[in-house]
Amino acid sequence: MFKLNKKLLISISAAAALSLGLSACMENATPAGNAPTKASIDGGVSYPVANGKTGPYYVNEKAHTGAIKFGRTPTKAEYAAWNTDIMPDGTGLPEGEGTADEGSDIYDEKCVMCHGDFGSGGGGYPSLAKGNAYELHKTLTNQRIKPDSDGPVRVFGTYWPQASTLFWYIKDAMPHPMTGSLTDDEVYSLVAFILNANEMKIDGEEVSDDYVLNREKFLKIKMPNRDGFEPKIDGPNGPENVRKFFANPDNFGAQKVKPSERCMHNCQEPTAKVVYIKNGGIKDFHPALSNVKDLPKEENKGFDAAKAYEANCAMCHGAEGMGAPVLGNKAEWAAYTSKGMDTVYKAGINGINGMPPKGGSSLSDSDFKSVVDYIVSKSK
Amino acid sequence: MDSKKSQQDLDSFDTKSTSNSRRDFLAKTAAISATALAGTSLLASDEKGDPDILKPTPWGTKWGDPVTEHLYGMPSKYEHNVTRRYTKLLASGNYRASIAVTPIQNSMGIITPNGLFFSRCHGGVAHIDPNEHRLMITGLVEKPLVLTMKELKRYPSVTRTHFIECPANGGQEWRGPQYNSVQFAKGFMSCAEWTGVYIKDILADLGVKPDARWMLAEGGDSSKMGRTIPMEKVLDDAMIVWGQNGEALRPEQGYPIRLLVPGWEGNLCVKWLRRLDFASEPWYCKEETSKYTVLKPTGKAIQHFYANEVNSTVTSPSPEIDWSDLKDGDTVEIEGLAWSGMGTITGVDISLDGGKNYVQAELKGLVLPKCWTRWSYIHTYKKGQELLLTSRAMDDAGYIQPTIDQETLKVGVEAVYHRNAVETWKVEKDGKITHVEVRSQLGRKGKGELFIEGKA
Repeated sequence: MFKLNKKLLISISAAAALSLGLSACMENATPAGNAPTKASIDGGVSYPVANGKTGPYYVNEKAHTGAIKFGRTPTKAEYAAWNTDIMPDGTGLPEGEGTADEGSDIYDEKCVMCHGDFGSGGGGYPSLAKGNAYELHKTLTNQRIKPDSDGPVRVFGTYWPQASTLFWYIKDAMPHPMTGSLTDDEVYSLVAFILNANEMKIDGEEVSDDYVLNREKFLKIKMPNRDGFEPKIDGPNGPENVRKFFANPDNFGAQKVKPSERCMHNCQEPTAKVVYIKNGGIKDFHPALSNVKDLPKEENKGFDAAKAYEANCAMCHGAEGMGAPVLGNKAEWAAYTSKGMDTVYKAGINGINGMPPKGGSSLSDSDFKSVVDYIVSKSK
Repeated sequence: MDSKKSQQDLDSFDTKSTSNSRRDFLAKTAAISATALAGTSLLASDEKGDPDILKPTPWGTKWGDPVTEHLYGMPSKYEHNVTRRYTKLLASGNYRASIAVTPIQNSMGIITPNGLFFSRCHGGVAHIDPNEHRLMITGLVEKPLVLTMKELKRYPSVTRTHFIECPANGGQEWRGPQYNSVQFAKGFMSCAEWTGVYIKDILADLGVKPDARWMLAEGGDSSKMGRTIPMEKVLDDAMIVWGQNGEALRPEQGYPIRLLVPGWEGNLCVKWLRRLDFASEPWYCKEETSKYTVLKPTGKAIQHFYANEVNSTVTSPSPEIDWSDLKDGDTVEIEGLAWSGMGTITGVDISLDGGKNYVQAELKGLVLPKCWTRWSYIHTYKKGQELLLTSRAMDDAGYIQPTIDQETLKVGVEAVYHRNAVETWKVEKDGKITHVEVRSQLGRKGKGELFIEGKA
């Protein structure tokens, strides 16, 4: 079966029913442009229900009365199981402790293959640190308006307004292929490690390798960019601040104009010139762009291990510093293959250290084994 | 059929893939059709004709598939090039925190078929068993609630047609054009008819407490993607949807349920939704602080930037489907899409000189709030003439698309998200289409405000 067979479209009958339904109801509908509108929090408009309609759509207003009730009350245990969010004021933050040193060990085992040495980034995943957060915070006013200018550094230490976000995110959504697998102490250790990599201080004290981070100290973290965001969303006036901010188009680069007064002639700055794609632009498109109507090429029955390696493994096994044995490193691979190929296959298929099962790929066992054979053959 | 139209029909045959005999035939009939202008019927021709018409076809003479084949229908195998596409440059390792974008060059009307709807995920596409999935509503409500999917679908359903757009649509092109492709330059969006329930209809019985100002929506996939939504939107048109274009949501769209906040950032429309929580303070989720914030030249970043602003693009011609096959004097439609997450499209203008001078284009078909809207302009093509096609849309909230200069002067070039400045396709002398931008060089006063260099 070629790939196309998995691509399923809505049936013709469903599409026909849809268009009929819409055109039928539009005959009696007020054009949306004439429907009542109300200024909304986002700077745009909403369509309040009037005369049984919102904009061009009819509504059954009896649905809004609260008469309809289904479901049940969750138990305390059910609520606790899912109520894992952690808020800036410490709500939801568990007790626990850990040091950057301990975090470093966990990091090398479970994180480095994506985030690189000391959180430097790699494999398409974000950097966690670029150096001293307080110094690099000053780069946020940088703008790359000229090709040689430096950009702003946007990593945890320089950009994030709240540390609670980091704890919550690591606890719930990391490590990426095995989320929810870290203990609270491990998360404290990893947070300490990331604070250390960002050269950050808590209450004036550097988060050194052996600094013991716990709940009390965590709540004292002051992020350098805490006040770097607008509008202000905290407190009882939060939503109103948002409304006021987006009521002013200048705040977010928007333009408002009466239709009759819009520019129709000489609307560009005289300085504006045609700018072309530079250096060929981005052309890495998969599949390649094409509009030919033809039969798809027969699926290549022969499995291409080299291609599968590039797509699934090269991210971690292709370069030093990602914590995984590098393709071509004879000594490193010999240490594994000396235990027998069956052991190597098994470790790869089930996952080992920071490597998820089959490297996170969806290859069959036999295809995965041929990729392992390929890597080993290139490392002899 | 008048003779002028029949000539156009003949001329529009794609001759590339046909045999020599067909090309000869077309050349001859084109000559003959000149006489047809004088009133002679084309049927008077003694030429043999197009072999594709004259010879019997296998599909015209043999049985097709029994109806028992493909009980869930699929596109013709000849349409395999109409597909989502991805680029490694927008792929976090192993394509689990990544995006595949919609071929809007092939889109028809205002509905994106489910298999082509753009797909963005943060921990891979989850395949959830609906029997084991629950929705929990907790926090500042008098009566917390947990619902099975069957119970959820008992609430009165609402059906709405809305686009969903990733606010990073066009986000790689703040400093200049990068993609010679409308699929990648503007295809981080799609539009569908959604069916679900207004959240306000469920909340009506739960007793929302007065100090509930924000709602957390959180997914049940491995990324636990969450976002904070203000109550005003929750109580206006926010929905929990399970239907997409008349069938269940696809796994790529969050099966069995996702949040839909019409017109707002696609990222807010949390997929694989499992929890709504209400609180008096916002959550500061990972995706609403580290990402999805717009860093301005002042060093301050806009947060909670909800709505996708008024926007438009020419979809035909495009770099993918160009005008290189047109002849001098051909009358052709310039067609495109307009959309606004802030309201309803009220008009679209088209410029042939890169946004210097505009004329009004026509809207086509249904014009719905926070929905793709089709527009059209009929143009007579002059072979060898270079054009700069720029469209500009307006909405009923009073917004009009800015020029790139207007937008970057305010928010700079590091914003990543929410770029809605006008877009330009250059029609080259040979009819090929090139993505360009018409813009000025910006300068900077120290670390201060941006200005246009050379402006008098």
